[in-house]
Amino acid sequence: MTRTWLSAPWPVLQVDAEGIISQANDAARSLLTGAAPGVPLDDAVPHWLARAAPGAVARGRVGESLFEAHPTVDGAGVLWWLMDVTERERVSEALRDERRRTAFLAEASNELLSSLNLDRCMEVTARLAARHLADAALVILPESGHRYPVAYCGPDGRVVRENLAVDPGQVPGLEEALRGFPPMPSRWIDPAAAPGWLAREGLGELGSVVVTALPGHGVPAGALVLLRRAVHAGFSAGEEVFTRLFAARAGAAISAACLYAEQASITEVLMRELLPPRTRRLDGVELAARYRPSGATALVGGDFYDLHPGAPGEESLVVLGDVCGKGLEAAVLTGKIRDTLHALLPVADDHQRLLSMLNQVLLTGERNTFVTLVLASVRRDGPRVRLRLTSAGHAPPVIVRAGGRVEETHTKGTLIGMLEAVTSVTDTVTLDPGDTCLLFTDGITEARGGPLGDELFGEQQLLEELEQCAGMPPEALTERVQMLASEWAGGGDQDDMAVIAITAPVEPRPASERSPAR
Amino acid sequence: MADPLTLTTTPRGGHAVGIDVRGDLDHATAGELLEAATAVLGTAALRDLHLDCAGLGLCDSSGLAALLVIRRRAGEAGVRLHLDHRGAGLDRLLDLTGTLEHLTGDPAPPPGRTRDAEGVRGA
Repeated sequence: MTRTWLSAPWPVLQVDAEGIISQANDAARSLLTGAAPGVPLDDAVPHWLARAAPGAVARGRVGESLFEAHPTVDGAGVLWWLMDVTERERVSEALRDERRRTAFLAEASNELLSSLNLDRCMEVTARLAARHLADAALVILPESGHRYPVAYCGPDGRVVRENLAVDPGQVPGLEEALRGFPPMPSRWIDPAAAPGWLAREGLGELGSVVVTALPGHGVPAGALVLLRRAVHAGFSAGEEVFTRLFAARAGAAISAACLYAEQASITEVLMRELLPPRTRRLDGVELAARYRPSGATALVGGDFYDLHPGAPGEESLVVLGDVCGKGLEAAVLTGKIRDTLHALLPVADDHQRLLSMLNQVLLTGERNTFVTLVLASVRRDGPRVRLRLTSAGHAPPVIVRAGGRVEETHTKGTLIGMLEAVTSVTDTVTLDPGDTCLLFTDGITEARGGPLGDELFGEQQLLEELEQCAGMPPEALTERVQMLASEWAGGGDQDDMAVIAITAPVEPRPASERSPAR
Repeated sequence: MADPLTLTTTPRGGHAVGIDVRGDLDHATAGELLEAATAVLGTAALRDLHLDCAGLGLCDSSGLAALLVIRRRAGEAGVRLHLDHRGAGLDRLLDLTGTLEHLTGDPAPPPGRTRDAEGVRGA
């Protein structure tokens, strides 16, 4: 009987109930050389097919190829139709891999971009690489302080952060990767040559080690080292490409975090520059100063103050200023003003002249911002303190008398840095023992809040509150003023606040031994 | 909350242009006014620039800096700057900073007087 399947282009075997091949077409004979009528299936085909139950599709390899065997049952036994699915399997495997990688890259991007914290970026990179690309991974950043910041993640998924004094020259390609030498994307190294800080305990026998550069924004961000155990050592071409894609994302994130850290440290340095000077006591004069930078943003604020102590018996100069604007520009201008004022100390006996000269210096700059300030020249005169006060566009200081009277000072002048000529009126005030002269910036009077939420704290209210503060030591007075303004503002946005109190001591003894003012 | 800034530029016949300034003039908005005024100052044959301050809310130091830059550019362009309908708040700021006369042509009061006039205890 001629059967049409005998000429089918796919291998087909007919097997009888005893497991003996009863027919095999040409395609089957050329695939399975032993397959012939009368031969037991066991002797002619691979084990997986010989043991296959005739009720279901079986899968297995024949030589290098992957086959599916589809059974159909007819009266004479079972017909096994063999289909070569190698190519189909390869394609769907590749598609699965691709999907997995895309999902992984999306996850990596999300995790990496959600943080500008350098440590976290390193940890995320090491962890993701160890989990998805290798058995263990190590992120190493360029040298910092003769050590290399390292994040290592082993097969257990735990990340260890270290700063290692190691020689990257021990690892071929690592030095180049750290210096950002392009474009040798990844380099294979002999696992046996890997130093102990790379091939760590618990990893077992290494099969492969790859060094990949982490490209940054113009500067090298570091290097990624992938370590695989011997059992699945190889990296396919697709995996290498993929590793580079991952490295590009990780490098960008680490680089951004580095730049941010640098920025943050610049801000910190500038902030430090704006912090109050240490001298708290001038010659026979008590002094307290409080500064609270704006909490609303990370920007450096524009308030500053300085003390320039004079020789005993001579005048000391106290400066409180408020630079218009915020951030780097304001900080740079503040530095310029403070340095200029320092240089101009020899003319401090003439406030108007000093302010004019400062104005001329600032006019050489951009001329689109200004500073307002108060100069207070302070001199001890027996039990009293003599003050020369000059405002340059700034709120005039307030005098809090020991008896509870609050007085405004009569000084007024032009802001500095924008007009060709500046004028000023200086006021002279004498403090008796227990009297305080209060200098403040507009962060105090312009604190917004109160019962209606949008009212200014205002000078009027400050003056009224100060009546209750008579006789307070300067430290307590400045704290009180700052607290009142902060409370007024509640949780709202607050500008920088700076307050200075200059007090004539009640007795010419150190503050700690002094009896209460009243 | 700060009020957003609204600027309306209107020709006022002949050689004058008015800018109606509404809302707060601060660090975030001062640049807008500067830009608008600078654009107007480029107009040919302009002689007077009026900033109508009736709707001006808060004006902080950045706002003042913008006004001073506008005043300088107006002077360079041969244009007179007018700050019309100024409120007490703006006047106080200009007085305190010694810029009232420069910006408005009005003479500034002597030190201390404005505050005494408000009923604040003086010496």
